[in-house]
Amino acid sequence: MMQLRELLKQTAILQAVPDELLDKVLERASLESFSSGDVIYRVGEPARDLFVLVEGEVEHALGPDAGAAVLVKIVKRGDVIGWAALLKGQQQRLAKTTARGQVSLLRINGESLLEILSADPELAEDVLSRCANMVVEDFSLPSWLAQVQEIPRSGDAAETARLTGLSLTMYRSARWFQSPKPYLMLVGFAIFFGSWFFMSEVWHFWRFDNLPGPWEVLQEWFSEDPIYGLSFYTPEYYQHIWVSLRRIMIAFAIATILGVPFGLLLGWSAQFRSYMFPLFETLRPIPILAWVPLAIIMFTGLESPVLFLTALASFYATALNTMLGVESIDESYPRAAACLGASRWQVFRYIIIPGALPYMFTGLQISIGVAWFSLVAAEMVSGEFGLGYVINTSYTTVRYPTIVIGMVTLGIVGYITSALVRLVGDQLMQWRVRELALGGQQ
Amino acid sequence: MSTANSATIRQPDEQSLSSAAAKGAIRIERVNKVYDPQGAAIQAVDDCSLDIGGGEICMIVGPSGCGKTTLLNAIAGFHSITNGSIFLDGELLCGPDRPRAEPGPDRVVVFQNGALFPWQTNLENIAFGPIMQGALSKAEAFEKARDLMATAGLLGTEDSYPGEVSSGVRRRVEIVRALMNDPKVLLLDEPFRALDSLTKSVMHEALLNIYYQNKVTIFFITHDLEEAIFLGHRVVIMTTRPCRPKKSILVDIPHPRDYSVLTSPRFRELMDETMEVVHEEAVKAFQAGEKEGA
Repeated sequence: MMQLRELLKQTAILQAVPDELLDKVLERASLESFSSGDVIYRVGEPARDLFVLVEGEVEHALGPDAGAAVLVKIVKRGDVIGWAALLKGQQQRLAKTTARGQVSLLRINGESLLEILSADPELAEDVLSRCANMVVEDFSLPSWLAQVQEIPRSGDAAETARLTGLSLTMYRSARWFQSPKPYLMLVGFAIFFGSWFFMSEVWHFWRFDNLPGPWEVLQEWFSEDPIYGLSFYTPEYYQHIWVSLRRIMIAFAIATILGVPFGLLLGWSAQFRSYMFPLFETLRPIPILAWVPLAIIMFTGLESPVLFLTALASFYATALNTMLGVESIDESYPRAAACLGASRWQVFRYIIIPGALPYMFTGLQISIGVAWFSLVAAEMVSGEFGLGYVINTSYTTVRYPTIVIGMVTLGIVGYITSALVRLVGDQLMQWRVRELALGGQQ
Repeated sequence: MSTANSATIRQPDEQSLSSAAAKGAIRIERVNKVYDPQGAAIQAVDDCSLDIGGGEICMIVGPSGCGKTTLLNAIAGFHSITNGSIFLDGELLCGPDRPRAEPGPDRVVVFQNGALFPWQTNLENIAFGPIMQGALSKAEAFEKARDLMATAGLLGTEDSYPGEVSSGVRRRVEIVRALMNDPKVLLLDEPFRALDSLTKSVMHEALLNIYYQNKVTIFFITHDLEEAIFLGHRVVIMTTRPCRPKKSILVDIPHPRDYSVLTSPRFRELMDETMEVVHEEAVKAFQAGEKEGA
């Protein structure tokens, strides 16, 4: 008892506490031992007790979010750890402590220590201010930090920093397969195709009678000699896909090349906006199909009206979202850049463009979806190839399974193009991918 | 209680600033700022005069919405002033013929909510200023940025994006980004407001350490009186809107300071003195707010 009291007197925080109070503290304290490698507490655990080291050595590693650069130190006899237990409000472990060899510790409950000290407010203040000084020592940044910073950082931040690009995608898909999500997704598909199958092919439900059933479609789709002339084995199938895809790529490229700068200018220049925005907002609600007659009058041939209609729809989505992207940029960013000496053009190049990227890519995703939508509409009206054309002519020539083949193919190809846009976006916005990954892991 | 309209609160002579010839003296002369958004003129700053010496840490305290930030924005060049003038080292920043100062790297702002560019790594953020100004090549700027990060204990976070590090690290990165430009003045608008008290205390020491290495003038807006007295050479308490210096309290606790200062009797005295003046203004602001609301 005497020895322990002397030890308490040597600690950084309890120096001024009189003997009788120290005895009271000791009465409520318990002596515990740990063996090598035992973890005493971890970052984030609730902090109720503090510890005085009686024997042995403890490794004390501050967590990556503790506000200090990560710092590992060795704690020895007479040192106090776990002072977070004395804080109000922030009673969470900020560090991980591990026993190095045989260790014995005096466990003191934070609340009961404060209760004992509350008998003497002045004393309590002294203890807490000593504690504060000790804490500040823990967190201040001595110059030798430069030498020890080689210690590998642990924790999610460092982990995700290494996880970029492909490895991140792999990691995510591995996680995905471990979750119940893919199986629920399969159930969803099964319900849809099941009801379709039973209603059209088994029960011949009212009005579902004429509908091609999924089995009929699959048979046609995989047939080497399709009844209605279109399957995986016919070159025409790929020709239609290719024609539609090429139109999408050209129209999407035109819409992006025109829409992004237009949107950036709308968002950035108040003057340009006053000229253009009212016009833009008047034209935008006009449905693409309403443009079909004018498109045919304006453009010659079969290809260019289709491209015009497709690009027009995409353009609106891209331009509008890019403009919103510019507006979403926090006012402090261009101000900070101006403060740091950037010219107006540099602000545009280094702040406005990257700042608008997240919205811009949302816009491009919408834009490619809208492009498919208007492409099919346009192909139904004019053109002699393409998936929209397939659907429309199959209807007029009563080749119902082929309609569904065209529809499903549109779904798949459309999904792939959309995923490609997202992939490019993730590549350009690594900062965002890493931020989101970090958020997802915690 | 009211200060005479033209009274200038001067930098006290006995103020012992380590280098007398330090740059970055700000002189605010009878500045007025009237906002007139919808015809209802709001006087944000009224006949405000203030002298801040080069290398001084001047803490500005006042009720919420009193117009402190308007003053800071005028110095930084984000806002125009209605009349009066502001000088930096004797040179006119803004005045009668030039209502708005040109923002520039001699007066760098550290923003309330942080304005690190999330799409640039910490290192790129810090190197941004000199690269934009064309003062340093990219390689040189990165080298200097790394050196500064080392002295601020930020090594190991260079290639992280701001969104990946803790808020305390972000604030330090932002201060270092400002110092990269060797500014004459640092303008801080409640930079530690969003931090928890523990991180805040660490940041105070970090800021003082940075200050002892680069003696820049610091114009620091805060609501936290403890912070104001702990950091400042001087605490200037502003009146409720319109904003004007009400009282200037000299903090005669010698620098360099550490956390033991907080428990010293002198610190408590200054706290009491400041508290009294601030409270008076806060009550006025509150009553004015009630009137506006009625």
